[in-house]
Amino acid sequence: MIDVRGLTKTIRNGSRVVEILKGIDLTVPRGQFLAIMGASGSGKSTLLGLMAGLDAPTEGEVLIDGAEISRLPEDKLAQVRGRKIGFVFQSYQLIPTLTALENVLLPYELNANGDGKQRAITLLETVGLADRLHHYPIQLSGGEQQRVALARAFVLQPPIVMADEPTGNLDSKNGQHVLDLLTERQREAKTTLVMVTHDQQIADRADRRIVVKDGRIIADENNGQ
Amino acid sequence: MDSDQKSPLGWTTAAKIASRELHASRTKFVFVILSVAIGVAALTGVRGFSESFQKALLDQARSIMAADISAQMFRILTPQENAKIDALASSKSVERTWVTEMVSMASRQGDPVPLLVSLKVVDPAVYPCYGKIILHPAGDLRGALTDSTVVVDDNLLVRLHTNIGDQLRIGGQYFRIAAVIEKEPDRLTAGVGMGPRVMMTRGAVEKTGLLEAGSRATERYLFKLGPQSGKVQGIRAELEKILPEAQISDFRETSPAITEGLDHATGLLSLICLVAMVLGAIGVAMAMRAHLQQRIDTLAIMKSIGARSSDILRIYLFQTLLLGLAGSVFGLVLGVGVEWALPSLFGKLLPLHPPLRLPLGAVLAAFGTGILTTLLFCLPPLLDVRKIRPSVVLRKTVEGDAEKPSWSTRLRENKAQWISSIVVLLALGAIAAGLADSALVGKWFTAALAGTLAVVLALSTFTLRTLRAFLNKTRLHLHSALRHGLANLYRPGNQSAAVLAALGVGVMLILSVFLMQHAIVNRMNSDSTTGAPNIFLIDIGQNELAGVKELLAHQVGVNGKVETIPIVTARITAVDGVNAASLKLKNYPRRMLSSVPVTWADAVPEGVKMLQGKWWQTGHADGLAVVDRVAHRLNLHPGSVIEFQSGEEQIRARVAVIYKPEGEHAFARSEFIFPSGPLQGLPVVWYATVHVQPVQIPTLERALFAAYPTVTVINVADILETVEGVIHQITLVIRFLAGFSILSGAVILASSVASTRLRRIREVVVLKTLGATRNRVASVFSIEFALLGLLAGVVGVLFANLLTAVLLRKMDVPYHPEVVTSILSVIATAVLAVVTGWLACFRILGQKPLEVLREE
Repeated sequence: MIDVRGLTKTIRNGSRVVEILKGIDLTVPRGQFLAIMGASGSGKSTLLGLMAGLDAPTEGEVLIDGAEISRLPEDKLAQVRGRKIGFVFQSYQLIPTLTALENVLLPYELNANGDGKQRAITLLETVGLADRLHHYPIQLSGGEQQRVALARAFVLQPPIVMADEPTGNLDSKNGQHVLDLLTERQREAKTTLVMVTHDQQIADRADRRIVVKDGRIIADENNGQ
Repeated sequence: MDSDQKSPLGWTTAAKIASRELHASRTKFVFVILSVAIGVAALTGVRGFSESFQKALLDQARSIMAADISAQMFRILTPQENAKIDALASSKSVERTWVTEMVSMASRQGDPVPLLVSLKVVDPAVYPCYGKIILHPAGDLRGALTDSTVVVDDNLLVRLHTNIGDQLRIGGQYFRIAAVIEKEPDRLTAGVGMGPRVMMTRGAVEKTGLLEAGSRATERYLFKLGPQSGKVQGIRAELEKILPEAQISDFRETSPAITEGLDHATGLLSLICLVAMVLGAIGVAMAMRAHLQQRIDTLAIMKSIGARSSDILRIYLFQTLLLGLAGSVFGLVLGVGVEWALPSLFGKLLPLHPPLRLPLGAVLAAFGTGILTTLLFCLPPLLDVRKIRPSVVLRKTVEGDAEKPSWSTRLRENKAQWISSIVVLLALGAIAAGLADSALVGKWFTAALAGTLAVVLALSTFTLRTLRAFLNKTRLHLHSALRHGLANLYRPGNQSAAVLAALGVGVMLILSVFLMQHAIVNRMNSDSTTGAPNIFLIDIGQNELAGVKELLAHQVGVNGKVETIPIVTARITAVDGVNAASLKLKNYPRRMLSSVPVTWADAVPEGVKMLQGKWWQTGHADGLAVVDRVAHRLNLHPGSVIEFQSGEEQIRARVAVIYKPEGEHAFARSEFIFPSGPLQGLPVVWYATVHVQPVQIPTLERALFAAYPTVTVINVADILETVEGVIHQITLVIRFLAGFSILSGAVILASSVASTRLRRIREVVVLKTLGATRNRVASVFSIEFALLGLLAGVVGVLFANLLTAVLLRKMDVPYHPEVVTSILSVIATAVLAVVTGWLACFRILGQKPLEVLREE
């Protein structure tokens, strides 16, 4: 479960101080698929980043399974992210010098003991990349790269996956394929999925949808429940 | 609109765009500026120092020579020559004096341990004609130096544990030490002596009996011109006529041997600096290529709105010029530091330390070379802008797996690059020729540097490919941090091969110098520790020979046979009827013909291996044996007739044998061997060689000096120490300058790391997002840098060993691989690479993931 309490974030832009998030309160129960929507610059990606511990809030706190993470030292935070959160980014963020299999294996090597190779291969097979295991990112199409990123996000079976517009750089066919895979894995593993998206259709597939505007949540709706 | 009618981009606009872009990427370009500055600094330092030194020599030219004109010979003047010079001196009001220099032994009263000293015999009433001898306690040389006193180097007091006022024993006579020489104006002209200086009068030396006929002494006749003497060249010409065998020089040349040596050294050291400069320029070219690749989008936009390739070329040419200028200016500032450091590195090799100044010639040479080299090496990457297509704006994806064009197509497509590369090579040759003052040296240097760089680059590429194949085979079996570090070598835009080659060349250069020095010094030491002679006795009189042999035979620690050789000094007056002045000589200074040491042997002596001819049967045969080296230089062969003169005696001999020296024997050092007959009755001195247990050498020296004070003992270990000192000092300077190449290599690495900074930041952030700790990220990057350093070290060490082996073979010195040094060099290069890599990117570790991801 993710608990967000009184979250604010201000940044300095030259001489100007900009308040991106203005006191967000949010609870995401275990296994929920939450879609965060909002216009560009509304603060939705910042909210996702703070929930994932990628940055420290100016005020407020983020709790994952009851433990406060926003004030943890950098290395501790990295460990929390590594063990509890999987990520999928709009621009894939694969390491260009590692093969598809190595990219998927990376979270395993960073955060777990034992050999995760078989699991990584299975996951890549599941996302339809059985014949692309030893290819470098540059040798893969955008859709294929995002599927590698997807496999990487799930390799450690994290309780939470955060996705920042995962289909934003893909054509509709590839986007649909990636989304299907993502939701399928989420349902199977009962993972909490927090996804930032512009796409209403994607948001419609989520369990719950919140809309962020000017740093505040202006709408919070459950879909079909 | 017809594009031909479009006016090109103005230089002002080009300059504006270029400087704004430079400003925006200033962190990245700091390393580029440093790349240029390093070579310019080294060159400024070397040439500045050389010019300052020459200027100081010129300023003090008369003092350095202690005269206006000097005539150096290995014999004293004949009465006829003396009379002619006297006539010249009185008619032209020229003042003259006579200086004799030789080695001898000296000890202090009460302690029989002798010391080898450099003896200088002067007339204190006239010497020095210019400059001043500075003594301690302060006083005039005329007052201090009498027929019963000497003045000495401070070093002699230290080594003999003696003081001013004590008695010094030389040639069996005692002389009071009157003062210490603090400054001797013509010490530079006298060269590096074999021991501390002892100065005495001619009256004093005559009491010692050291100047027996045949003794090895150098005579310098010094002349001071008066106001009525006329021009120096006129007197010099007359002296050359009177003394055709003498080495005559005047103050305008300062010291020919020194200036010539300095010119050669400046040329050589400048070329070493040029290596650093070329590596720096390659670094700039690499940075420029990476920069242009990162600017492809912008350049495509410019092209799509009408900019022509020439317009873009103009912008980046201007940018390169600005970088070259900034680097050269910074290099000049650093160069002052190099010039300041050089005298202390040369140490005692330079008795004259010039004041620190920055001569215009040196500034122009370094500045011009810096800018020119930078512009030249950036030409090929700059020409690449012509290949950028405006369509990149619309379609970023690279068209994959297109068929590779054939060699001929690639050659045709890259015509401009090939032509510019040839221009670069030609220009580099011209620069090298200019710096070395020799077209031949320039040509060979460029060919060698280009060849070495090409081979090192090929080796680097091969090593990286082999490693990649290894990585692909073993990937998942390797530890993940190691695998990731290894894989990083192949990061897009990393230019690992070029970095590796640059760093490798630096390592090669510095290690080769070290290995050469080590091998030569080791060879010298091993020669002295085996049974080879380690003691030379010189100037043994005919009447002393039997006694010296007897003494040696009963001395403890004398191993093996005592070998003796008689030496008669003669001059060659003609060969095959051709007068000495008209002989065609190969690498044989003509003045050497005036003092040739000759010897005799009636049977083939040890150390002589006959190559041609047959040895004579009797002592009165007409025969002469000549060593092959001299025969080659004087163009002698069996049957050649040589005319010698020794004193008033004329000797005519026909060459019967050509021989080559063999082993460490007394006769192996001879050049001309006669039958005993022709040399009978001529003044002779004997030399002896023997091996003595090193610990017994002082005892032997003491016993010999007590019994035969005019016999000089030269301990090879002392000579080796001096030679080693000189080699050490010279190689220290070379290594110091070669170090700039390593620095260039390191800056290239830093520059390459800085140019991939954005990619690295993204990787750090992704790794951190996936749970990597700072340590983990640090270890991945450290492994990458260390591997690069290790590989560069291996490439450099391999090449250095190869180069050293080839050069040593040519010098007939055995080559042994220095495993420990080689391993240490590889490790040191790895450490240097890790430190440099982190200096170029240490702040990226602290990046917050969200900040970077938000910018995506």
